[in-house]
Amino acid sequence: MKNTLGRRNFIKLTASASGALVVGLHFQSCAPKKEPVENFSFVPLIEIDTEGWVTLIAKNPEIGQGVKTALPMILAEELGADWDKVKVVQGDYNKAYEEQWAGGSYAVILNWDLMRTAGAKVRYALIGAASQKMNVPTSELITRKGSVVHKKTEKSIPFGDLVAAASQIALPEEVEFKPMDTYEIVGKPCPQVDLDNIVNGSVQYTIDLKLPDMVYATVLKNPVHKGKVQSFDDSQTRKISGVIDVIPLDNSNYGGRLIGPNSPNFVNGVAVLANSTWAAFKGTEKLEVVWDNSESKKENTQDIFSHYHNQLNTTSVERQDGNIDQARRRAVSQVEHVYELPFLAHVTMEPMNCIVDFSSEMCEVWAPTQNPEALEQGLIKLFGLQPEQIKIHLPRMGGGFGRRYYVDYAMDAAVLSKKMGRPVKLIWTREEDIKHDWYRPASVQRLSAWLDQDGKVIGWRQVLSNASRVTSLGREGNPAGTEIDEYDFPAGFVPNLQFEYGHVLSDVPLGQWRAVGPTATAFAAHSFLNELAIHNKKDHIDFFLEFLGPPRMVPVVGDFKYDTGRLRAVIEKVRENSNWNSPLPEGQGRGFAAHRQAGSFVAEVVTVEVNADNQLKIVRVDAVVDCGIVVNPSGAEAQVEGAILEGLCAALYGEITIEDGATVQSNFHDYRWMRLGEIPEIHVEFIKNDLPPRGLGEPPLPPAAAALANAIYAASGVRIRRLPIGNQLLDI
Amino acid sequence: MSSFKLIVNKEKKTISADPDTPLLWVLRDILGLTGTKYACGKGLCGSCTVIVNGKSVRSCTLSVADAAQSEVITIEGLSEKGDHPIQKAWMEADVPQCGYCQPGFIMSAFDLLSKNPNPTEEEVNNVLSGNICRCGTYSRIRKAMQIAVKVGNQ
Repeated sequence: MKNTLGRRNFIKLTASASGALVVGLHFQSCAPKKEPVENFSFVPLIEIDTEGWVTLIAKNPEIGQGVKTALPMILAEELGADWDKVKVVQGDYNKAYEEQWAGGSYAVILNWDLMRTAGAKVRYALIGAASQKMNVPTSELITRKGSVVHKKTEKSIPFGDLVAAASQIALPEEVEFKPMDTYEIVGKPCPQVDLDNIVNGSVQYTIDLKLPDMVYATVLKNPVHKGKVQSFDDSQTRKISGVIDVIPLDNSNYGGRLIGPNSPNFVNGVAVLANSTWAAFKGTEKLEVVWDNSESKKENTQDIFSHYHNQLNTTSVERQDGNIDQARRRAVSQVEHVYELPFLAHVTMEPMNCIVDFSSEMCEVWAPTQNPEALEQGLIKLFGLQPEQIKIHLPRMGGGFGRRYYVDYAMDAAVLSKKMGRPVKLIWTREEDIKHDWYRPASVQRLSAWLDQDGKVIGWRQVLSNASRVTSLGREGNPAGTEIDEYDFPAGFVPNLQFEYGHVLSDVPLGQWRAVGPTATAFAAHSFLNELAIHNKKDHIDFFLEFLGPPRMVPVVGDFKYDTGRLRAVIEKVRENSNWNSPLPEGQGRGFAAHRQAGSFVAEVVTVEVNADNQLKIVRVDAVVDCGIVVNPSGAEAQVEGAILEGLCAALYGEITIEDGATVQSNFHDYRWMRLGEIPEIHVEFIKNDLPPRGLGEPPLPPAAAALANAIYAASGVRIRRLPIGNQLLDI
Repeated sequence: MSSFKLIVNKEKKTISADPDTPLLWVLRDILGLTGTKYACGKGLCGSCTVIVNGKSVRSCTLSVADAAQSEVITIEGLSEKGDHPIQKAWMEADVPQCGYCQPGFIMSAFDLLSKNPNPTEEEVNNVLSGNICRCGTYSRIRKAMQIAVKVGNQ
């Protein structure tokens, strides 16, 4: 297998002052010929010192998804490094790294070829250097565990002895990748790189860092969404020992609520700065603020949902296949149901926080961010900085889940540091974190299906109504785009199919939440498919496999098609693993759902028990995943388990409600998260193949809620069409 | 500001703070022991769990005045080299995802196993259900607890 990078990046070898071999990316601007080469930025990816220690730079932000381990594993594999002599260092933000963000399950997908190419080019150079020293042809040499090895004689030279010579080797345009059957690192479970420092408490998240002369800050934001500060009295706050200053934050002085498409600015409020976190927290409690809510719609959840319901009848058509009216006329039966989903918060364990040192011309930032480029753009827009004035460090994060794709909290810290002329560590309280999240959009969906005399689905109509992320975040394009997608299942599987969207305007701040749109659409579609199976008096999995049809490439949108054989395979495997057809004790039931996202295929079976008092217990979850090559089976299994629990937990409890324009929930007592004693046994299996690795952080999430609702029906005969499940069973 | 004496990880400390300052912020901002985490500030999630006079405590809701003269153990003081059997069990099971809640879990586990080296699954569930892991590492926490119990009994 050969590869050349069709990117602006190119890989270059250099020797460092200490004699180490440094391999990295040079970034060419879009007009390469107009710029002298020395102006291009260079970022390291691999450094090999004369002792043979290999330092690998983890370029993408680590939120707990394991990318700080997975991407270096790919580099190390292709290089032929000894993992025990590898050190992994988190890279700072730099344009030259490209695609340096965490989201959409894309890190491994987008970096698979880049990591392999970089590793393979260094291997080429090391083998070239060894070939000269050993006087044997390069074709007889391989790299293995940190040495170049002559295959015939097993003679070897460690990397450290080759770095000087290797730095002189000219790199080719194309390099051969290692055959996958020779992999020694990729595909083997690898503990994550920060593991020891996590369990001994020494790993430092942004919230743990301290700079000389640093001021601690927190904010009290207007609880009403789109509200402002009218006036405030800080006399009691300033009496608290340790309080240094009180600074109002008014985003209208900084470009308004949004600083760019998809990039929210800070929310209006009042900040307290102090010489300790506690003094700042106490100081905000003593603030007397008069809020200006004149621009708020003063919404409440009930009204929001009634708007959504009304808007189901005023829609735009987002996808149209065949003719659903003809299907309706031909049908012998029709099934129609409405599903409701709530707003959801992210509640990362490490609350929003950021350190900014804007005490000089330079703006240096330590940011728990999934999206450093948006942070850079925000700083440029708010303060008119040049990119050279901005330095962004990316410490490990205490969770992300999409929340840290937005940089509003970092803008808070930057404004405060600029005003103070000192480094500022801003920490939001958990209450601010929940009340000023960018929530998973709530939605109402009406699904209709028309069936022929054989029970075959000949028409499908899915209408979704809500306030859209596109509108909330000021993104360009169709508001439907983030909510009901032309790629959504079952597009491509029903001859007459229509997706429609009803757009509602709302003040509630909306953003991406792990697995995004399909958390809503897949819940509805896979609950509804279960209802159709029951309508047809068929086993759900049998019905679903018939619905999919024989293994084939199914065109979905334009040239995009996928292999239903891979989807069938995960379903058949999960049917086997969950003993789907075996009898269950009284009160128990199984539910199924399957999903494709980020190129991966997932099938899940959830087993529940609903006892005589209608108390629900999730007993077991079986998941089978085909994500192509599994880079790190340990991290991959963790991602699948985490995504499933997140889907189940949100289905059980997750709900943000709005009253008078403000979020009601404030902490873990009223935004409940699953505890150890509540979790089911989880069994995860990966399909083994040599296909390119695909996304994993998100795909297992959307089917979990539908499989759970389907299991509850099987166990109790109660159909859940509104999430969260909450007390719905107990209230019957 | 008042002066308080504490024994933290076997070292005597005298610190100056307002009496109502939660032990959490004394540990983090004054003593630089940042392994103890802030996540809820209301004793709801267990991320700030430390051992005070032999009992697990949510350090975000215990004032330094009430903690004065106490003996405090934080994650940094659990072992010299991060090799307490519970920490080793956590590593063997590759428990953490983001890792932020894990010191709190480990301290809760330490408290449980110090008092009850052979807890039932139900006892583990009951005690560790005071902590929240947002990433969903619970299955591996169970596995790590089984390893730690087994090692403790050898």
